[in-house]
Amino acid sequence: MNRPLVSTVLVVATAALLGGCASSQATYVDPASTRTLSNVGEINVQDWNMASESMINSLIAKHINSGSVKGSGPDGRAVLAISRIVNNTSIQIDTDMLVKKIRVALLGTGKVVVDITAGLGGPEDPLAAEAKREQQLLGTQKVSGRPDYTLSGKIIENRTRQGNQRESTYVFQMALATRDGLAVWEDEKTITKQGKRAPVSW
Amino acid sequence: MNFNPVRALATATLMALLGAGCHTVNTTETAQPVFQRNLVSEKRVITDASLARKVQILGVNVSDGPGGFLKVQAEVQNTTGRYQRFAYKWEWFDKDGNLIEGPAAVSIIRQVEGKESLFINGVAPNPAARDFRLKLYENAR
Repeated sequence: MNRPLVSTVLVVATAALLGGCASSQATYVDPASTRTLSNVGEINVQDWNMASESMINSLIAKHINSGSVKGSGPDGRAVLAISRIVNNTSIQIDTDMLVKKIRVALLGTGKVVVDITAGLGGPEDPLAAEAKREQQLLGTQKVSGRPDYTLSGKIIENRTRQGNQRESTYVFQMALATRDGLAVWEDEKTITKQGKRAPVSW
Repeated sequence: MNFNPVRALATATLMALLGAGCHTVNTTETAQPVFQRNLVSEKRVITDASLARKVQILGVNVSDGPGGFLKVQAEVQNTTGRYQRFAYKWEWFDKDGNLIEGPAAVSIIRQVEGKESLFINGVAPNPAARDFRLKLYENAR
């Protein structure tokens, strides 16, 4: 058999195999861009980004920019606590993917502070909650007892199928309530995604 | 003129193929709007001529609320007869030109039908933001 030909074939085959191994290398993607992966059956990074951006813009434009936000926090800032965010979808999600972005943005407005000692499932920061309780008991410093506002919400899912076309809709609903229990801001963001069902592979 | 069924069928098929995917929008509005838009003069830097041919910015208006947050509204039009998908992103700057970063600085996907115009709104993340930049991206998924 032709020896150089066999060598060439072996070299090409080895290079092809090694090339296949190198394809598992990861690539960094900007999570704020549209280059992240998305699929129909899940709430992806892009969906959380779009939902939170919509809620942040709405909260600032409709409530905070009206100039009516005043509270009992430092420098007259409003004190916000996070209430229940209900997950009414079929998938397990961490609602902080939405809420944390909103909290960070609200803190950045300079008009709102977030109380991390108040929470339905216990305080987010137990040490801060203890320190606050001590200060309230000793009366050494004026400590606000109740938050001025609470933020609550719900995430709803709707799925439908037509032929091999699948569609998922995720509805993000949020409300901001005062101490009196009156909702002063509410909004809803709907995100719908369509895709084809992957063919069965054998 | 003689009726040629083959030619008629071919013409009908061609018309159907050309018409498919073209969903344009007709719009009606008042001749003398009651509002007065505070349109700002803008500088456009176009690096993607392909996108600029499809989706164009008609105008940008700015307003300031009592809370001091800048609110910007841009009117975007699809100049083609076909449905287009694009993404946009707002960037905000303080009076010294420094970029203000925040969780709302993300790309947002929008779709626009043929010949349709729509508004995209942006609100400054804090009252320190005094200037803005709007970026448009093509081939949004």
